[in-house]
Amino acid sequence: MIFRLPQAFAPCLGLFLYLACSPSMAIVTLGENIELEGFLRLQNMVRTAEFDDAELIMQRNTAQLESKYYFLRDSEAFGRFNTGPLEEATLTLTGRGVYDSVYDMRGIYDDAPAPGSPGRDELEMREAFVDLLLPPFTLRLGRQQVVWGETDNFRALDVINPLDLTWHWARESWEDIRIPLWMARGIYDIGKFAWLDESFIEAIWIPADFRPNKIATDPRQPWAFTGNGLRETANSIVINNTLLNLNLSVLDKHPERELGNGQGGFRFKAIWGDIDFSLNYFYGFSGDTGVRVREDLSRTVGDTLHRTIELVNPRSHVVGFTANYSEERFTQSVFRMETAFTSGVPVALAADAPTSVDGDRDQFDTARRTVVMVAVDRPTWIKPLNSTRTVFLSTQVFWRHYLDYNPHYRGIPTVENAQVGGIDLPGRFVSNNTDRLDRDEFVITFSASTSYGAAGLIQPSFVFAIDPRSTGAYNRLAVDYFWSDNILLRLQQDLYWQAVDNDPGPWALGDIWGKSDQNNRNETNFSLIFQF
Amino acid sequence: MNNHTHSPRPTLNLFRARGLFALIIAWSFSGPALANEDQSFQALRDWIDAAPAADAMPAAGTHLGIADRDEFLVSLIPRSAWPYYIFDDMDMEVAAHGDYPPPPDWGKAVDPDYRLDERGVLIDFKGAGFPFPDVSDNDPDAAAKVVWNMLWRPGQDDFDMPMVTWLRGENGQLDRKLEYTSVSSTYARGEHCLVDGYEDVKSKRVMEFRSPRDMAGAKDMKISYVDHDREDSGWLYLPAQRKPRRTLASERTSELMGMDMIREDLNGFSGKMFENNWTYLGRRAVLATINVRDNPEFGGPHLWVPHKARWEVRDTHVVMVEPKSPDHPYSSRIIFIDAETYWTHWMFAFDREDNQLLRMNQHYLKYSESYATEQPQQAPYVKQDFSDNVGHFVFLHLGETDINAKKPHATLTHCYVKKRDFSPARAQQFYSLRNMISGRR
Repeated sequence: MIFRLPQAFAPCLGLFLYLACSPSMAIVTLGENIELEGFLRLQNMVRTAEFDDAELIMQRNTAQLESKYYFLRDSEAFGRFNTGPLEEATLTLTGRGVYDSVYDMRGIYDDAPAPGSPGRDELEMREAFVDLLLPPFTLRLGRQQVVWGETDNFRALDVINPLDLTWHWARESWEDIRIPLWMARGIYDIGKFAWLDESFIEAIWIPADFRPNKIATDPRQPWAFTGNGLRETANSIVINNTLLNLNLSVLDKHPERELGNGQGGFRFKAIWGDIDFSLNYFYGFSGDTGVRVREDLSRTVGDTLHRTIELVNPRSHVVGFTANYSEERFTQSVFRMETAFTSGVPVALAADAPTSVDGDRDQFDTARRTVVMVAVDRPTWIKPLNSTRTVFLSTQVFWRHYLDYNPHYRGIPTVENAQVGGIDLPGRFVSNNTDRLDRDEFVITFSASTSYGAAGLIQPSFVFAIDPRSTGAYNRLAVDYFWSDNILLRLQQDLYWQAVDNDPGPWALGDIWGKSDQNNRNETNFSLIFQF
Repeated sequence: MNNHTHSPRPTLNLFRARGLFALIIAWSFSGPALANEDQSFQALRDWIDAAPAADAMPAAGTHLGIADRDEFLVSLIPRSAWPYYIFDDMDMEVAAHGDYPPPPDWGKAVDPDYRLDERGVLIDFKGAGFPFPDVSDNDPDAAAKVVWNMLWRPGQDDFDMPMVTWLRGENGQLDRKLEYTSVSSTYARGEHCLVDGYEDVKSKRVMEFRSPRDMAGAKDMKISYVDHDREDSGWLYLPAQRKPRRTLASERTSELMGMDMIREDLNGFSGKMFENNWTYLGRRAVLATINVRDNPEFGGPHLWVPHKARWEVRDTHVVMVEPKSPDHPYSSRIIFIDAETYWTHWMFAFDREDNQLLRMNQHYLKYSESYATEQPQQAPYVKQDFSDNVGHFVFLHLGETDINAKKPHATLTHCYVKKRDFSPARAQQFYSLRNMISGRR
């Protein structure tokens, strides 16, 4: 393994060393109205398939700068203009630059995607919004994240912002992988009325900024989603035991940036008795992208099948209800629940589905789906583990159900070696989808976290997620150590495994990334973070 | 001051009459090093019983140093705190006994229809005055009544309070520095409530962290209720999650965020009355930072305690709190609450395992009217106009020392308090769940 330190990395390292050796610094204040904070994170990841070798697959260097400008306080803007009922206003800007140096450091990645490809480098203004306070109304305008729901790391009502799953799937803080959107978010505070307390209504409008969830499909990328098979791209197709080259044309049918493709929704939230609840509705597009096969545009020329597919994001209605309740007497636990009904969920149909199911032979359908989540949080004394601080335990159970289920629904396609007459053809790969979706899907998560040390600077955590039907499971063992207020060391070990069979399940847990093959994604992650 | 102290036990009165005996006790405490380090529950009880004579107090203007250890310090600093508060280059300025009247209208708007039930729980009290303005030492409910007065004391809310907290190990090792701001308002104001329709609410508070960055933007809202049997409601907004999370209030015994305190330790005691047994231990004179000139600098061998600060000898009610739960980490706690103002000066909590000191806290206060002539520090990250603090006739909490004796480790806090009166409409907007669904990021 030959490492080359790229020139671009040197200034980054130098800046970090300078800051690390500087006296402890907190948030930076410029004048009385501007605050700066942020972090520089050096994230190194090795893949440890068999635990007898390690392959460096990521060296992601991230610099994030966050600023807040208080330009209007106490109904006075810029210290001179009276703004009447407009009491406060701030401008928030968050910029992020990313450079994954593993591509330049490792010769093995010389044929990796070019700079600018997902996960390799990035430079963008992630969030830029203005907050306006006109009691009882507040308005946030600009590029932002909005999170609804009671679930942790699961998509039910938290669907307003798409996710960038290209560089480390969903295994990072979702704050960092949500894709902020340009939108308006207004909240009208109602307060107490009838038998409700703390009530408010919130409306969001995304005029023209639709973006789908981002998934890397180029198998040369470490976190490409290639399904439960070979880490290759299908280049062939076998029809009637005849091998054809596959030339795939992709038509991107994502909604254009125009007002007609706006998205929006509202939420009413209040407390009834001691129950905090919300009613939610969102009208948008599915963040998951469906694939529609255009047989009418496909043709065979010679020994090549020219196939055209469309990437589509159907219109979607999401209706949901959430609630939480803090039971203080008997269980000393916080109970959470969330339920959502979603229409317009794109699903693949089996290629051999009957015409009664797939009349237009596009191997594509939309479904309606419900999700129910119940969860319990409990700070718990486990004195043998920690005699001074509780362990925060949290568990969630998800049940996802297809209302108009069809047994021809398919999940994750698999890339396999092409075979003709039972013989593998080297260098030829086909895509196959035999992963039949289940009507009912489940996943259970459990997490535990606490802190050790005199000042609580050592913070271990444990995460466990299991799909009880496929028995695929994911574990994270992690520990954060705050070397100082500015420097955080983080060590994580991700493990994927499966108890029985090879069913990949719907959640990309366990077997799909736990096998001892090139798809294995058991990883050790060490990060050095400078924060201020 | 001690002329006015009383004890339910005649033997204690006898002790008080004999200053010489107290000096002997003090001498015995100041003997071998091993005895000096005695931080047991019994040692503190013995120290409480060995009250100094009224004429054995330091004169106003005196600067107490290590040379005054035997004459004054060991008799006026609670014994459990000696290892931290008595040190070689110490400098305690002793001020004259101050007069700190409450707000002029204090006690005038109290709705009189309230009572103390058999569990020691105050029922139907709605503030605007002390629930028990006169507490007799012989009252069998004296301990509970003193604590209820502390819990409803004037000035405990209605402020903007930027804070800085230092978490220090031995020899001053700085482990962490936190910056955050607490804003709170009293809702229950006797015959009326700050916001109509919220008569069940005692107070509301929003606290937001500013640094370090891993905590920046985290904020929590707490609603306390007039009904003591009802647990607080709480929500925590975490920027990483971008949404509020309901929090549990009834777990009060875990250390908070690496700080050397548990939630129940706030203000000496912030738990539930009915979860404890209460014993009144009489009155005791102690040194207290009741009206400091400024946020005190820190001194001592570990930089844990106020140094070069202004102290006063104060008469305090001494209350012993014994948790009923066998799982509680404390066997007991002893609180020294000012007999005139009902602010907590000292709290000592003892480990259930061995009855040795586990945690303690000591508070630095400043009287609002003293701001007319001397103002404390500004917060390092925001400038406030403190002049409006004058006229409130309340104490402002300028900080505290919290020590975990077993680690050993300390949490030191400076508060930069500015009194703030919310309008009903503004309070309704600010202390709302709506305000908890987004943050600085």
